[in-house]
Amino acid sequence: MKKEIKIGKLKLKNPVSLASGTCAYGEELNGIYDLSSLGCIFTKGLSLNPRAGNEGNRIVETDSGILNSIGLENVGLESFIKNKIPYLTENSITYVPNAAGHSIEDNIEICERLSEIDSVRAVELNVSCPNVKAGGMAFGQNVKVLEKFLKQLRPRMSASLIVKLSPNVTDITEFAKCAEACGADAVSAVNTLQGMRIDIKTGKPYFNNTFAGLSGPAIKPVALRLVYQIYQSVKIPVIGLGGIKDTGDAIEFMMAGASAVQIGTMNLVYPETGRIISEGIDSYMKENKIEDINDIIGLTHRLKGEL
Amino acid sequence: MKLISKPEKISKDHYLLKIQYQGSDPIPGQFVSIKVNEGTDPLLRRPFSIFDYSENELKIVFKVAGKATSILQNSALPENTDISGPYGKGFTPLENSKVLLIGGGVGNAPLHYLSNKLRKTGCNVTYIYGSRSAEYIYCRDDFHKCSDSTYYMTDDGTDGEKGFVSEKLSQLIKKEFFDFAYICGPSPMMKLCADILKAQNINGEVSLENYFGCGIGICSGCTVKTVNGNRRACIDGPVFNINEILL
Ligand SMILES: Cc1cc2nc3c(=O)[nH]c(=O)nc-3n(C[C@H](O)[C@H](O)[C@H](O)COP(=O)(O)OP(=O)(O)OC[C@H]3O[C@@H](n4cnc5c(N)ncnc54)[C@H](O)[C@@H]3O)c2cc1C
Ligand SMILES: Cc1cc2nc3c(=O)[nH]c(=O)nc-3n(C[C@H](O)[C@H](O)[C@H](O)COP(=O)(O)O)c2cc1C
Ligand code: FES
Repeated sequence: MKKEIKIGKLKLKNPVSLASGTCAYGEELNGIYDLSSLGCIFTKGLSLNPRAGNEGNRIVETDSGILNSIGLENVGLESFIKNKIPYLTENSITYVPNAAGHSIEDNIEICERLSEIDSVRAVELNVSCPNVKAGGMAFGQNVKVLEKFLKQLRPRMSASLIVKLSPNVTDITEFAKCAEACGADAVSAVNTLQGMRIDIKTGKPYFNNTFAGLSGPAIKPVALRLVYQIYQSVKIPVIGLGGIKDTGDAIEFMMAGASAVQIGTMNLVYPETGRIISEGIDSYMKENKIEDINDIIGLTHRLKGEL
Repeated sequence: MKLISKPEKISKDHYLLKIQYQGSDPIPGQFVSIKVNEGTDPLLRRPFSIFDYSENELKIVFKVAGKATSILQNSALPENTDISGPYGKGFTPLENSKVLLIGGGVGNAPLHYLSNKLRKTGCNVTYIYGSRSAEYIYCRDDFHKCSDSTYYMTDDGTDGEKGFVSEKLSQLIKKEFFDFAYICGPSPMMKLCADILKAQNINGEVSLENYFGCGIGICSGCTVKTVNGNRRACIDGPVFNINEILL
């Protein structure tokens, strides 16, 4: 059975990975199961300096989903390199850092520094975080801004570049095409959908930032549709995520065109979801006599004529 | 871990659950994490403190607060309940000391297990049990049995004295000396009590009950501020020293 996936310089032993912000830096989950059995993990969004994150409420459950306003609390680039990478490499965990700097300059510095590290084969650029005032989604909601940003960034980093797209735009394919044209090796889709909640006792927004990011099973149909559309519009690989909870969901994303998938919110509920889905894909391939994972990727598009 | 019995009503809105558990003794202040049904609604696990432990059996007390606890309350099929843990850093165990335990509402639950343990290690336990009114007080006899002196405080005076636990705390520390205090309850109550204790140079710990996303340290949803910077309540706590936590 062939399940390896190549995304630029990044080699994944299977298509299952964990989403940024839902597996921290791997330490806790690796105590529960062996994370080196996964394709890779995307570590928490990094800023140049440590970030304390947002004040006030940070998470609340919604129907089949959650709203979060963590605000990119993270240890900062230096501490990541010094204290987090050694653990990941010692445990043979394939990882992709997620860059989430305040400014274009910060992000360039983060990607440049990370590229110098042997075990960093790719960096996921987060231009889609809805929970911070500077940086984040501001880069990923205007094609011209994104283009200017990526044109400056791309020549400065030697690692492969994965651009994580925001679903909070009118036409996500424009952003995917822009990333491809600017030299991105892949795109990942999607980050959280912007949402909100109001406290009816006070009439005030539940989150200090008013809006927050919706994730979990509630967003899956939307995320799947976006991955399907992106696959049709670019040639670079798409990494699919948004509400994946079981093997069936993961296969659906792959059929829509995802070369690999990320598990996010469900790690919070069932920490072993990544392992279960990775084993589930094995069983699915065996049962359906699929020799090569590439036969599943984008299958729905190839069957279009047969409708 | 799995449920042994259906929830047993122990006072207004409060229920006792028995859970089969094999493993080393949990530490008072630790919690278990419960996914109350299969499926995605409610989605997240819910944290509950350990109320009691003996011979492969854990007990928790829950108060019906919303979606998940309403399902738990009516759980006719206990096999569907998925329970993991124990998690978190518990209370500091003391020996041969004079200690004060202060609980508010369902927050009394972890202090019950703690009190039993402290008595076994030679501590003299004074207990202040706070509640909205008499009908919410649960396992009254058990709390009485596991402490050397017990005071009940209710908002409406229907049991014990009318008033807040913090008022009783202020009275007691004027008359008696305490080595250490343990507190669990609503945040404003814990802050008030911690401030009173700190002003008298009495050391102590609080157990937080803020909103958890994962309970295992991966989401940063439960972050709290301490004098040493941010900490995750689920794995660095839920118990924190009153001189460390910024309430
Ligand atoms: C360490 C810890 C120990 C706890 N111990 C107990 C206990 O022993 N007994 C008990 O009755 N309760 C305890 N709680 C609180 C309990 O977890 C919540 O009451 C419960 O999650 C409510 O779920 P719900 O779906 O019924 O309510 P919801 O409909 O979700 O909301 C009702 C209220 O409960 C709170 N809440 C909801 N979800 C969570 C969550 N995931 N984490 C924390 N709070 C939440 C919210 O603040 C909300 O205002 C503890 C909380 C923590 C963090
Ligand atoms: C608690 C939490 C924290 C997150 N932090 C980040 C982050 O730091 N960087 C990032 O690119 N995405 C972050 N995300 C978004 C997820 O990586 C993912 O894109 C989104 O949750 C959708 O996938 P899901 O529905 O499987 O969770 C976060 C999501 C959650 C729930
Ligand atoms: S609840 Fe997720 S880190 Fe504590």
